[in-house]
Amino acid sequence: MPGDLLLTPFIAGVLVTMVLALAGAGLFLRGSVWQALALGQWAAVGGVLASVLHWPVLPVALLLGGGIMVLLQRSRDRERLPLAVFLAGLAAVTLLAANFAQASLAAAAWAEGQLYFAGPNELWAAIGLGLLTVLMVPVLLRVWLHAQIAPDVPAASRPAVWQHLGEIVWLVAAIVLGSMVLGLPAALATLLLPAWGAAWLARNLTGLVLWTQGIALTGFLVAWTISLPLDQPFAPVLVLVNVMLALGARLAAMLR
Amino acid sequence: MPPEPVPPILHTQSALLGFDRPVIGPLSLEIPAGARWALTGPNGVGKSLLLKAITGQARVHGGRFELAPRTHPSLLAQDHARPQPWPLSGHDWLRAMGASVPEHEGVRALLDRRLDRLSGGQWQLLRLAAVLTSRGEDSSAQRLILLDEPANHLDAEVRADAVELIKAVPAETTLLITSHDDDFLQALGLEKHPLAEYLDAG
Repeated sequence: MPGDLLLTPFIAGVLVTMVLALAGAGLFLRGSVWQALALGQWAAVGGVLASVLHWPVLPVALLLGGGIMVLLQRSRDRERLPLAVFLAGLAAVTLLAANFAQASLAAAAWAEGQLYFAGPNELWAAIGLGLLTVLMVPVLLRVWLHAQIAPDVPAASRPAVWQHLGEIVWLVAAIVLGSMVLGLPAALATLLLPAWGAAWLARNLTGLVLWTQGIALTGFLVAWTISLPLDQPFAPVLVLVNVMLALGARLAAMLR
Repeated sequence: MPPEPVPPILHTQSALLGFDRPVIGPLSLEIPAGARWALTGPNGVGKSLLLKAITGQARVHGGRFELAPRTHPSLLAQDHARPQPWPLSGHDWLRAMGASVPEHEGVRALLDRRLDRLSGGQWQLLRLAAVLTSRGEDSSAQRLILLDEPANHLDAEVRADAVELIKAVPAETTLLITSHDDDFLQALGLEKHPLAEYLDAG
C-alpha cells in the first residue's frame, strides 16, 4: 500500500488512540473497566447487526452501546452485571456470524480491526471526537475527581447532571469509534493498559493523564512500525505491545 | 426589643431515619446554629446514621427533619478505603473536595504526595483538612461540618494537628462530631450530647 494512502489511517489512529487513552484514565479512576468491556462488545454487536440489516454502522453501534451504558449506569454492580452483559454480547456476535455471511465478515473486521482501511469518514469522525474531547477535558476531570470523594461529602456543589451525561455520551462515542477504527481488542487494550501502567508512575492526576497518553502513543507508534513491514495485522500487535509497555511501567515503578 | 432568636440549623421532630427501612427513631432534637456538639453513645445507637441523613445519604421515613435553608453540610465519613494504585495527590484531593489550601504546615507537607502512599494518620488528617475547608459557591451559606469518628487512625504524630485544625474552625460554623475517644473530645472541649437522650423524646 503506498505511503500517502496510509496517512489517513495513521492520523485517524493517533487521534483515536489519544481519545481512548484519556477515556482509559477516567475508567481507571472510576474502577469501571468491566463496563468498558461490555460497552465495547455491544458496540461490536451494533456494527455486526448493522451489516446484516444494511444500515449505517456508526449510528447503530452508538445506539446499542449507549443503551448498554444506560443499563449499566442504573446498577451499582460494577463487576458481575457488566461481565454478564459482555458475555451476552460475545454470544450475540457469534450467533450472528454463524447465521449470516455478512455478519461473519463484519465480526472479523471488528475483531481484527480495519485501521489500514480507515478512510476520510473515519478520519473526520476522529477529528470531530478529538475536538469535542479538547472542549470536554475540564468537565471530565471534574467528574472523575468528584467520583473519588465518597463516602466523604464536600460542601462544594457536585457536577451538574449535564456534565455526568456528557461524560457518558463522550465515553460511548470514544469506545464505539475506537473499536471501529482499531478493532475491539486493540481498542480495549488502548483503554485499559496504558492507564494501568501510568497509574504506577504518575504523581498526580495530571501525571496520570500525561503518562497514559505517552504510553498509549508509544504503543501505537511501535505497533505501527512493527506490523507494517512484517505484514502483520495491526490489532494483535498493538495488544501485545501495550501489554509489554504496561508491565514495563509496573516494573519501572517497583525499581524506583 | 429583644434580638430575634436564631433558628436552629437542624430541627427534627419524631423523625424516623434509616436506609430501605427505618432504623432509629423517633428522634427529636434541635441543634442551634454555631453549636459545637459531640454526639455520644454506644455503637449502633444511630450517630452515623443521623449524620448521613443530614447529607442525604440516608432516608427520613417519617416525622419532621428540617435543615435550615441554604445550609451546606460537609461530612468526614468514618473510613475511606484507598484503592491501590491511586495516582492522585493531596492537591487533587483538595480540588475534588472544593477545599482551599490550608495554612497548616503539617497538611501542606502532604499535598504533593500520592494519596496511596500516605500513612493512615496522614490520610485521615488530609481528609479532615479538606472537609473543614470545603466550601460551596454561595459564600453566605451556613456551614455545617459533620465529623464521624475523626480520631480514627490518628496516630500520635498527627493527633495534635487534627485537634488544632478542628479548634480553628470559624465560630459561625456549626460542628457536629461523633466519637468514642473521650481524650480527643476533651482536648476539643465540646459539649457532649448522648444521642439516646433525644430518641423517643418526641
